[in-house]
Amino acid sequence: MKNTMGVELSSSERTLVECYQSLVRLLKESQELAPFERRNALKAVAALWQVVNGLDLDPGNLYDIGA
Amino acid sequence: MKESPYWNPRHETMPRDQIEALQLRKLKNLVGWAEAKVPWQAKRLKAAGVSPDSIKSLKDLRRIPMMTRDEWMQAQLERPPYGPLLAAPEEAAIRYHLTSGTTGRIPLQVLDSMKDWEWIAEMWCYGFWGFGVRPADVVFFAFSYGTFVGFWGAHYASEKIGCLVLPGGNMTTEARVKQIMTMKATVVCSTPTYALRMAQEAKTMGVDLAAGPVKRLILSGEPAGSIPATKRLIQDEWGAKAADTAGMTEVGTIMIFECANQPGGTHIIEDHYIEEVVDPETGEPVGYGELGERLITSFGRGFIPVLRYRTRDLVVRVPANSCSCGRTFDLYEGGIQGRVDDMKLVRGTNVYPRAVESIVREFKEIDEFRIHLYTVQGRQDEIEVLVEIPSNDGAECDRICAALAKGLAEAHEGLRFGVQKVESGSLPRFELKAKRLQDDRIVIGTAGERRVTA
Repeated sequence: MKNTMGVELSSSERTLVECYQSLVRLLKESQELAPFERRNALKAVAALWQVVNGLDLDPGNLYDIGA
Repeated sequence: MKESPYWNPRHETMPRDQIEALQLRKLKNLVGWAEAKVPWQAKRLKAAGVSPDSIKSLKDLRRIPMMTRDEWMQAQLERPPYGPLLAAPEEAAIRYHLTSGTTGRIPLQVLDSMKDWEWIAEMWCYGFWGFGVRPADVVFFAFSYGTFVGFWGAHYASEKIGCLVLPGGNMTTEARVKQIMTMKATVVCSTPTYALRMAQEAKTMGVDLAAGPVKRLILSGEPAGSIPATKRLIQDEWGAKAADTAGMTEVGTIMIFECANQPGGTHIIEDHYIEEVVDPETGEPVGYGELGERLITSFGRGFIPVLRYRTRDLVVRVPANSCSCGRTFDLYEGGIQGRVDDMKLVRGTNVYPRAVESIVREFKEIDEFRIHLYTVQGRQDEIEVLVEIPSNDGAECDRICAALAKGLAEAHEGLRFGVQKVESGSLPRFELKAKRLQDDRIVIGTAGERRVTA
């Protein structure tokens, strides 16, 4: 996986990005999350967004999912 | 693995051409976002013929119209409370903050979402980590924790880094000094003025701060953190290194920070902002080493896109190699060096004389007034408004003074204003351009404001 600057991400970095992507997907698609699940997942996404942004993957904004 | 001295090593040491490529990509994204989500911004961009596709290089940034604080305030007045500047629904926000306005009682108000709020802390992490703050540190905040954004982001940055945080809101200065000592705080965050105030209090208490646990002070809210004489005094009294930072409510966090090498300037966080320095009269860019006004374009807070915002701060930009820390982020030599406009910073709060005047003028009983800034015991900045009230009714005058003091404080994030009645006819009258502000402060303030007594 390369970032927008053409840099190959390390294995650890890729794992963080995948974790972020999975959480975003889950928050968009799942209507069944309990409040403690959704709100904590949102907190995690807000923090992981900083990683993905810092890795130059242009994560955009997350207001539509509440983050 | 050796610990990095940089919060984001890849970005902080990026070659200049790559920083600019990164900024260009983020600029296109930001313009696209503003165009799609903020009709107010879209109209301005369209009028200037700017679209994301039309931005081919960073030079195209100059085609985007500058945005002023007055425009922001006007937009808020026309569509209260936030103006037509939001790119997301208010329900998506988790934070509200404000700063005193340029005119009257209406403050500049902002919102942040969960992700934006996290980003605000992230920017402080660049500064904290860069100055050497680490998880083992104990960080004390001499901060009021109100609606003024101040050190809020720094608080969460400290938590993110893993420090033990001591939130020192709602405490007397004596209690703060005691807690710093008993809890063995290694880092203290405050305004430069208040760092000196705490040092003074410590002396009164018989506490030797210089022999205490504090190793670092992180200063913000006033330019004095980069004024060498003030900084030296703070460092001597605390026996600790002091770093300057500067931020603004309009972007929610800091834009610049001083690294552990203390180069006499502050690094610009260039992977999250584009900072331009222009001639304040012509708007034309000025070169390295020349004094000019900083304009900011921020990539972080998507809730309120900020493009080419006129800060009115005066700065001198110098290249990254002016510092030996290895960062490729340029610096502002001497931090924020002054103001283009007449705004004054008093204990971290912005005070615009015209905003004070508009509140004073609500009291028809007041004939004339003067805003007086002074320093108490050589350390603490104070602000008072001297008023002429022709009435001889003492109780009525007291009521007016109290109401004015309350109104001024409410419009300035709770900043304490003294209001004093003076003899009728004792204040100067003006026929043309009135000068109702007298600044007698010593040491604290921008370089141009310093009046060092012998």
